[in-house]
Amino acid sequence: MNLDTAFWIALFFSTLRQTTPLLLTALGGMFSERSGVVNIALEGIILFGALTAAVVVERVEHLLGPGPHPWLPWLGVLSAMLVGGLVAWVHAVVSIKYRADQIISATAINLLALGAPSLVLTYFYGNATNSKEVANRLPLWGPEGFALSPLVYLAFLLVPVAWWVLFKTPLGLRLRAVGEHPEAADTLGINVYRMRYLGVVLSGILAGLAGAYLAIGFLNQFVRGMSAGMGFISLAAMIFGKWHPLGILFSTLLFGFASALAIQLQGTEILPAVLVQAFPYVVTVLVLAGFMGKSRPPAAVGKPYEK
Amino acid sequence: MLTDERRLGVLVALGGGVVLLLWYLAPWAVPHRLFGGEGVLLSPFGHHLPQGTLPPGYRDGWLLWAFYPSLAWLALTLVLAWTPKASRKLYPMGALGLGLFLLTYLLFQASVAQVMAGAERPILRRYSLGLGSYATLAFSLYLLLLARLFSPGGLAFLVRRRGVVVPLFSLLLASLLGGVIVAVMKRAPGEAQSLREAWMLKLDLITYTYQLLYSPLVNPSGFLQSLLLATPLIFTGLAVALGFRGGLFNIGAPGQLILGAIAAMLVGVYLPGPRWLVLPLAILAAALAGGLWGALPGWLKARFGAHEVINTIMLNYIAASLFLFLISANEYKFFGRTLYLPFKYPGYEARSYEIRPEARIPHWTELVAPGGELSFALPLALLLGLGGYFLTRKSLGHRVLMGLLAGTGGYLVGGLLPGPTVSFGPDLTSVRLNGAFLLALLALLFFHFYVFRTVGGYELRAMGLAPKAAEYGGVLSGRKVVLIMFLAGALAGLAATHYVLGGGVDEYRLKQSLPYSVGFDGIAVALMGQNTPLGVGLAAWLFGILLTGGLQVNLQLGISRELVAVLQALIVLFIAAGGFLPRYFTDPLRAAEVELREEAKKREEAKEAP
Repeated sequence: MNLDTAFWIALFFSTLRQTTPLLLTALGGMFSERSGVVNIALEGIILFGALTAAVVVERVEHLLGPGPHPWLPWLGVLSAMLVGGLVAWVHAVVSIKYRADQIISATAINLLALGAPSLVLTYFYGNATNSKEVANRLPLWGPEGFALSPLVYLAFLLVPVAWWVLFKTPLGLRLRAVGEHPEAADTLGINVYRMRYLGVVLSGILAGLAGAYLAIGFLNQFVRGMSAGMGFISLAAMIFGKWHPLGILFSTLLFGFASALAIQLQGTEILPAVLVQAFPYVVTVLVLAGFMGKSRPPAAVGKPYEK
Repeated sequence: MLTDERRLGVLVALGGGVVLLLWYLAPWAVPHRLFGGEGVLLSPFGHHLPQGTLPPGYRDGWLLWAFYPSLAWLALTLVLAWTPKASRKLYPMGALGLGLFLLTYLLFQASVAQVMAGAERPILRRYSLGLGSYATLAFSLYLLLLARLFSPGGLAFLVRRRGVVVPLFSLLLASLLGGVIVAVMKRAPGEAQSLREAWMLKLDLITYTYQLLYSPLVNPSGFLQSLLLATPLIFTGLAVALGFRGGLFNIGAPGQLILGAIAAMLVGVYLPGPRWLVLPLAILAAALAGGLWGALPGWLKARFGAHEVINTIMLNYIAASLFLFLISANEYKFFGRTLYLPFKYPGYEARSYEIRPEARIPHWTELVAPGGELSFALPLALLLGLGGYFLTRKSLGHRVLMGLLAGTGGYLVGGLLPGPTVSFGPDLTSVRLNGAFLLALLALLFFHFYVFRTVGGYELRAMGLAPKAAEYGGVLSGRKVVLIMFLAGALAGLAATHYVLGGGVDEYRLKQSLPYSVGFDGIAVALMGQNTPLGVGLAAWLFGILLTGGLQVNLQLGISRELVAVLQALIVLFIAAGGFLPRYFTDPLRAAEVELREEAKKREEAKEAP
């Protein structure tokens, strides 16, 4: 049992990589909940995003021939964001326009994400569990040995951006107002429905981005169930981070660290891998139990608004 | 704004247009179909043969006998719909349509029988009516519905039954969307010569998919298989429904099921003893373990305010890890030290030791016909039990007691009665339906009693409807949350008895292939069943049918059986949105408005009449 420097460096970079999809999704979830809509569909949206990115890149490769196409992974990323936004829009329509229970509506989308990928994969590849591997993954940026996916930089850059948008722009003010007191916001002439649609669709776009990162940044294919609860964990991280970008940064880093530790400990003789894999989930339960009392969610979250 | 009568005319005309289009585009009958779904498509305007030819000796002249009367019926209906007091005339027209469908069916069966009679081997295989004929049936039902809807009090009638209307309408919408998915995803067999034939092939493909999905309804082994698949869904559906009734969303059924399975395995494998002791103990252990795993997020919510949705999901993942830890290896390293576990059966596959015979839940053949002799014990017990409960005119306690006593008596008497000798074919005995199904029926009864007939159940429902009011009314909400989650978890844990003790998958063991995701399907079951025991039972059965049929769809058409999962998800989505029906279907206050309006109208009419 000898943990040397290489272990800690690997752990550090692994933490950054593990945190990225959580951070992207949690920031998205923050926009959605700040506008008053719970979005536990993020788990499913990650899967839809990952599926789209992998299939789009692989299919275009199939058309163009193998050769390196540096723009191709970005096409995958864009289409994943588009599909993520679209799926979130469905959740928005059902829960905002038809005033459905937001958790049930989102659960339906999660259930859809369990079944629909198999249909798509069977259609394109004849098997129900994974897509073909893609040759054009997202590139790595940075010095040799310390290179990271561009989406890692983007995720961490989004933290100050999200903070600025939420707390320093009129748009952010309206978004928060709609989540805190929709009647008052409506009286002031803010279009409650439009703000909520914006929040939900934005969360879908970011979760789709996280999915693209998993499929063509982290791996090079879509695998069934590859999100493995990340959408739910990032919602827990968002609650733990008190619906604030900075808090979310720290809480997702905690969860990212737990996952990274689980990965780094695999194959060592310290703990069995099957138990180590449960780390992030146990951390989530403990964190929700220990720190929930002090945070306050947006007042109107989860309630459909009726004019 | 149209008047009511005009609107009725427009609706009938629209429906009639669709039917005409379907009659023209879709096949009426498919007398011969090959394995991959290729068939000889028959319509009043000729044959369409994607592949092969019509078998020798088959005559299709009967089709015109069905077609021209149908055409006349449709024309008459379209005219009658625009006459005054049309809604009354639509009843006989609907009945006539049903008769026409029956006529088509009989004519088709007769023509098939004619060919079969002359041959030694069956020439025609997988023959069935096509979408064209079903259009007649659907339009007749539509006419009857319209007739009821446009007669006095019709809307209020429909709104009062929204617990049935919303799920059915959602099922219909999901099926339509599922049809579109099938049409897009799957190339129809055969080459189309024209646009009309291309349509015909696609419409036939969709029809055949749904015929396969619902085929367990008409085939005995499929029927048993659908009951088998419904068994765990009843338990998990009740587990979710109980949570909903109490205002909690229990997404933790998969994890609770896993813990139940582990506990059942531990008792079933390692506890020696006689059958009458071990079997009930194993079942209780499953309920207890699932209950405790469910109570944990309940306690976390009551004590710390942690939302149960995320916690139950996290506990699902933790349970899955624990499950793998127990049965995937016998030797683990902890900080360099080695830990030995006794649970995994030697060999490559991750599975436990076999359940001892004393702890196994009997197979359905042992219950229905022990020793090859039909037994009246169970049917008589059921009959007398229900009779005792419903015929006693006293307090609830007396009625339950009478029901139990009569049921036990029926069981004893029925067990003593001699029965005829029966033998089942291998396709029936191979279905692994087991006594856990009866346990599921008991769970339905328990749900009904607890939720609708006891003080505890009243408090539970009060908490679900208005938690604050319930608390002021004296319900200890924290304790109640833990209790609800415990009971829900226990129900989900009982689902494991079907898999582990009843050998519901293929062995009497705990295996890695334990399909714990049925816990999620429980959400769809609970919503479809509107959180009532009868509804949950029927919804579980429906999904059991679809899952069984999904296997056929996969086998014969090569469409992934995940189509059923997609249909389930769509149903949940549509029910959540109230079936996209007008607001008065989903909002009780507006429903009351509708009823009042209708009543006022009726009163006015009564005033004018004399």
